[in-house]
Amino acid sequence: MNLPKVQFTEEQKQFRQEVRSFLKQHIEKGTFETRCDSWLSGSNPDFSKIVAEQGWIGMTWPKQYGGKERSTLDRYILTEEFLAFGAPVAAHWFADRQTGPLLLRFGTEYQKEFFLPKIIKGECFFAIGLSEPNSGSDLASVTTRAEKVEGGWIVNGAKTWSSNAQDSHYMVTLIRTEPLGEKKHEGLSQFIIDLKGEGVTITPIRYLTGEPHFNDVFFDNVFVPDEMVVGTLGNGWKQGLAELAFERSGPERILSTFPLLNEAIEQLKKKRDYAGLEEAMKLVAELWSLRNLSIGVAKVLEEGGEVNIPAALVKSIGTKFEQKIPEIVRLLLDVYPDLQSEKEIERYLAESILHAPGFTIRGGTSEVLYGILAKGVIAQ
Amino acid sequence: MSEIKEMVAEVVEKVLKHKVEKETVDLLEENLWAENVWQLLLENELHNVAVSEEEGGAGGDIEDLLELYGLIGKYAAPVPFIEHTLANYLLKQIDIKGYEQLTTYSITAPLQLKEDALFGTLKHVPWAKYAEKIVALAQEGSQQFIVVADLENAVLKNGTNLAAEPRSEVVFENMKALQKVPITAKQYMSLSKLVTAASVSKMNGALTTVFQLSVQFSKEREQFGRPIHRFQLVQQHLANMAGEQTLMTVATNNVQTLLGDGQEGLEVAYTRLRMDDASRAVATAAHQVHAAIGVTHEHRLHQFTRRLWAWRDEEFTARYWKQQLAKQMLESKMDLWESITEQNEAHVHA
Repeated sequence: MNLPKVQFTEEQKQFRQEVRSFLKQHIEKGTFETRCDSWLSGSNPDFSKIVAEQGWIGMTWPKQYGGKERSTLDRYILTEEFLAFGAPVAAHWFADRQTGPLLLRFGTEYQKEFFLPKIIKGECFFAIGLSEPNSGSDLASVTTRAEKVEGGWIVNGAKTWSSNAQDSHYMVTLIRTEPLGEKKHEGLSQFIIDLKGEGVTITPIRYLTGEPHFNDVFFDNVFVPDEMVVGTLGNGWKQGLAELAFERSGPERILSTFPLLNEAIEQLKKKRDYAGLEEAMKLVAELWSLRNLSIGVAKVLEEGGEVNIPAALVKSIGTKFEQKIPEIVRLLLDVYPDLQSEKEIERYLAESILHAPGFTIRGGTSEVLYGILAKGVIAQ
Repeated sequence: MSEIKEMVAEVVEKVLKHKVEKETVDLLEENLWAENVWQLLLENELHNVAVSEEEGGAGGDIEDLLELYGLIGKYAAPVPFIEHTLANYLLKQIDIKGYEQLTTYSITAPLQLKEDALFGTLKHVPWAKYAEKIVALAQEGSQQFIVVADLENAVLKNGTNLAAEPRSEVVFENMKALQKVPITAKQYMSLSKLVTAASVSKMNGALTTVFQLSVQFSKEREQFGRPIHRFQLVQQHLANMAGEQTLMTVATNNVQTLLGDGQEGLEVAYTRLRMDDASRAVATAAHQVHAAIGVTHEHRLHQFTRRLWAWRDEEFTARYWKQQLAKQMLESKMDLWESITEQNEAHVHA
């Protein structure tokens, strides 16, 4: 597998500094506190609004919808800085990462004009509706169904594990629009469902720490107008796959626990613990290699190339790395994991340990990814 | 990147693919080597890649040369190609013209230099048994030198590494330095990075073959009525290997390009350090996929896994770079994130 080598420009380097000083200011002001895994577990609509004011939501999208037409690599840099500083960007994350690109690729003009400017302003958040109570890894077995009526569709069924649906306005929902035939990947479509609409019930599923995180979303005779069908009817599976490449290859599959590693190295330096630093360097070397890979995929995505396999690869190795960080750090430093601690490192360690099991599950379990990778390798 | 890159790589790949078979690699175990392959490489002027045309070379740059090292690893070619060309390339860095006679190098530990005489012992020197000259590191007081010596009169204790490649202990007892050039610590760091880039390139080549052999075997071998790649536990091995191989190939390509552009940061150190993990993971998984046949001498797999095991403990090892990186981090005023992002950006420009 060959990926392009990416070199950042002088302007990109400056942009990184700009984002970094913005984040440092807000940490100082107390707008947010650095946390591990904040990109998914740190939903803060007020902070998303501040990010939007910077022009940093939908920054790669066309100007006609309010975007800035910046490059994918600029967005990559922005994302990396959010992650490195553990900023609470979860509220707008899905809309920025995948709903926008999905609509730009498959959406109608009406959908683009209606949703994109709102997303860019930080006023419209999206959740993703894929898994169901009885279809997780076997995603194509979805049973949430829609029946055609005058001017739209009536949807019945349920989605689950939908992160941050409690703060979202809409959900891109995978729905069966034709009776289940021979091939279960066919007859699926993507609908945009108004989560505040009639017949929609959202019930929180608390994460193992007790925090709100994901949700069950029930649809009881929910009317969805025709203009909220994304792309082609029956093409939902393929459209969804295109989204997954964005979902799996980003720096959030490498850096969820980075604040912990950064702080651990600072502490080792302070103690002049040379042996400890040597061990930590193995993690840094791994981070460096993974980052190259992920940036390479971002570049291919920008050029419209096929990245399903390398994206699955980034996610499967990257998340393993994220899980490894707390396990190594706790052997290098005398640190007690405590979510309430006043010491940053103790909080970061606690957050990393408690969130780690989700890394290799969300967005496609490692086992599903291994299957995709092995088949890709055999087909070559 | 040089324009001749693709052409040169094609020629070398063709030569190695057709001329280096399982039995060719086995020659090393009988105290022989692939002299015919070496001759072919010489005839095609491949030992002169990255030597400028004005100096009678074949053109191209270090990126081209490193790519060829990848092929040497990929085919386990039993020839002193890397040793000879890299020894000459190291000399070029300190403005000494390369040698026609077979030359090797060893710059991980210093000899003692007293005026023009060399004293000390170098261990595990590659291909010293066949080489006529050696490029080495020497020290006089606190000053370091790159020196060249004749191997003709040196005392050699010949042995092999884990892959049966020739390695010798070379004793210098009042041997004359044919050349001596003082070098700074910074120059030494550059040379050590070049040597490491060569290791990384050949290791990535061998790793790629180990992975490819495993994929191929998993398609051919049938058990319980179907090819073994249909089993999920085998698929997990293949997926993990694909991950390691891609990760290392992207990293190695980056190292080669950056060196080709005349930029050197810590990339090579990171790659070498991560290569240790990748070698272990891929070699282990490959043997597991191949099962019993893979641990026989008859099968090719060991020619590549043994190289990985041998090469990871030679020259500037992961341990060496782990120490260097820790030292730099300790002295740095930047935090990790600043240094990682600076690393990429300070040395790179589009």
